Amino acid sequence: MTSPAANLSAVQVPKWAFAVALLGLIVTYLVLQENGLALGAGSEMLHEFFHDGRHALGVPCH
Amino acid sequence: MTTYKSLALRGIGAGLVAGVASALVQLLVTEIPIRAALAVEEAREPAAGEGHSHGEEELVSRGAQVVGGMLGVIIVGIAVGLVFATAYALSKRWFVDRTPFSRSLALGAAVFGAVALLPWLKYPANPPAVGDPETVNYRTALYLGVVVAGLVIVWGASWLAERLQAQSQPVRVTAVLLAVVAAVAVVLLAFPAPPDTIPADMPVAVLWQFRLSSLAQLATLYVGLGVVFGLLIDPAARRTKAAAKAAVA
Repeated sequence: MTSPAANLSAVQVPKWAFAVALLGLIVTYLVLQENGLALGAGSEMLHEFFHDGRHALGVPCH
Repeated sequence: MTTYKSLALRGIGAGLVAGVASALVQLLVTEIPIRAALAVEEAREPAAGEGHSHGEEELVSRGAQVVGGMLGVIIVGIAVGLVFATAYALSKRWFVDRTPFSRSLALGAAVFGAVALLPWLKYPANPPAVGDPETVNYRTALYLGVVVAGLVIVWGASWLAERLQAQSQPVRVTAVLLAVVAAVAVVLLAFPAPPDTIPADMPVAVLWQFRLSSLAQLATLYVGLGVVFGLLIDPAARRTKAAAKAAVA
């Protein structure tokens, strides 16, 4: 058996990992929440396009 | 799995698989009550004119919304997979004595509880034709507040479990469970009630079919992510049959 704890401490998390995680959160925000705050006029199109997904994932919508 | 990059790539792969699975649940299950809800919305069309356009002058066609909705779920799956892999790589005390698969599955289940089940309990998902456009920002703030509270509870449970390391396992588990139940109860009681009333023309059956479909889809996404990520990172999952036989013998 491998030792999970040993595996763990071996993982080096570089600084840019936080940028990557932040990117993931921003993408999630754009798909699920974009109501015009970040993209302005283009957002309504995006909002309508992802409409069903936003409802289905339980995010508040209109 | 000793580099962040390898974990991140597997997070993307697991997110893609879980996102596709969740999108299929949406197509086959959630779209049924969504169609019923849109019919309710269309029935009130003459009185309409408010913000949202499902009717004639629609910005995006219904077909595109179905495809776009699925695409959105897949994109969210990939993005969440990336965040999930980062959280996994950073977690130094999350079930450290377990296998990578168990750790990933437990993390997926915990994330589901924090960012899906808890907000679903406090602010159940609503189909189209429910929801006052006037209150959408308030509702979004409440929703995000519960999501953050849920993540804090998960983090706190992990912290508490480590603090109680000196206790026996049954005592530790009981203490952490009690603390989680208490924290969840506080969140459910402290956050204000959902501001919108359910319109009278929305059938209760459609409403709950939608809510349960939504929950099934969220479970598919987050628990699926934990399972697939676990399969991808755990060396035990790639053991060949010969190796398995050798291990048994």
